[in-house]
Amino acid sequence: MTLRTLITFAAALALTASAALAATHGGDIVYEKPVKGVVFSHKIHVEEKGLSCDMCHNRLFEMGKVAQDKADFVMESLYQGKYCGACHNGTLAFASNSRCATCHIGVKGQKRLSNGDKQEKKGH
Amino acid sequence: MDLDNRPNEGIENVPMQQRRDFLKMGLAITGIFAGGSLLSVASTFNRAHASDFAKKYPFKPHYSMVMRQDRCIDCERCMEACVKTNHVPNVHGAYRTTILEKETPDAIGGKREFIPVLCNQCNLPQCVRVCPTKATYKDKSNGIVMMDIKKCIGCLTCQEGCPYNARYFNEEKKAVDKCNFCIDTRLAHGEKQTACAFACPADVRVFGDLSNQEDRVFKLVHQIEKQVWVLRPEAGTRPNVFYTKG
Repeated sequence: MTLRTLITFAAALALTASAALAATHGGDIVYEKPVKGVVFSHKIHVEEKGLSCDMCHNRLFEMGKVAQDKADFVMESLYQGKYCGACHNGTLAFASNSRCATCHIGVKGQKRLSNGDKQEKKGH
Repeated sequence: MDLDNRPNEGIENVPMQQRRDFLKMGLAITGIFAGGSLLSVASTFNRAHASDFAKKYPFKPHYSMVMRQDRCIDCERCMEACVKTNHVPNVHGAYRTTILEKETPDAIGGKREFIPVLCNQCNLPQCVRVCPTKATYKDKSNGIVMMDIKKCIGCLTCQEGCPYNARYFNEEKKAVDKCNFCIDTRLAHGEKQTACAFACPADVRVFGDLSNQEDRVFKLVHQIEKQVWVLRPEAGTRPNVFYTKG
């Protein structure tokens, strides 16, 4: 086995591993209700910030269920410490009533995500 | 050295780079003295403050909008409401209002801003000045920049003149179309808000009468605690759409 094939093999393995990891961590969740284009990234919270699964599941978010189906999944609930607001209270993490466009990536951000982060075609 | 009695040598020969460097510091070079070794500068900070643009309100009501920019989340309900209310065709580039996105990757904290834009209903509208057929005009009572589609010949000179990209050619109307603060579709029917302001879930778009001291837009524009600005003040068109944060 040449060195090159070995490297390729290792790279491929790493790719599969990271893909599997992302999948086990739930990937990106994009909420469309009550407003469009709100992202929750498992990657940022689990891999970058080092949170463990049981910090949110199933106390704040039931695994396998979609939070946006609940009627109280609104900003007001977050301000009262529910859902994301349990940490995003200004002490543990930035407050829910600040940095709006960090999670609210909007319709534009949602389109970018579904295009696989491909660069949008620039118009004139 | 008595600066007051020195002749101003004129700023024509100040290199462009130097002017830019000063502008970046929030200063504009206003004079040059003593063979170029002394510069007089003035602060450009707050030059775009709303009160400069809003000293006189020639219209009654003087329709205006204030964007509380940091609250915009690009849910695009405003755009959907506008399209539905004003029958904007579903064609690329056709809009009366849209949302711009600005990313600042190096910023601490929030890195993304959404900036809603629409016709600024300028007090000195370039589009009106350049229209060869007077198809676009400033309404004498409420200051809205209107379109008389029968007169429009589709030359698109107004598009060139507009600093805000607020006009598009409507193939169905065979005329240029633009935001008119929903004057025909909502205000004329007794509604108090434009479709976009009414649809906004985040209270970004505050619509009202700038000539009424009790109105929310008047109060938002006439305070000094939070900065208020307009887009592209250098165009000198005196917009009636203001922006603020916080």
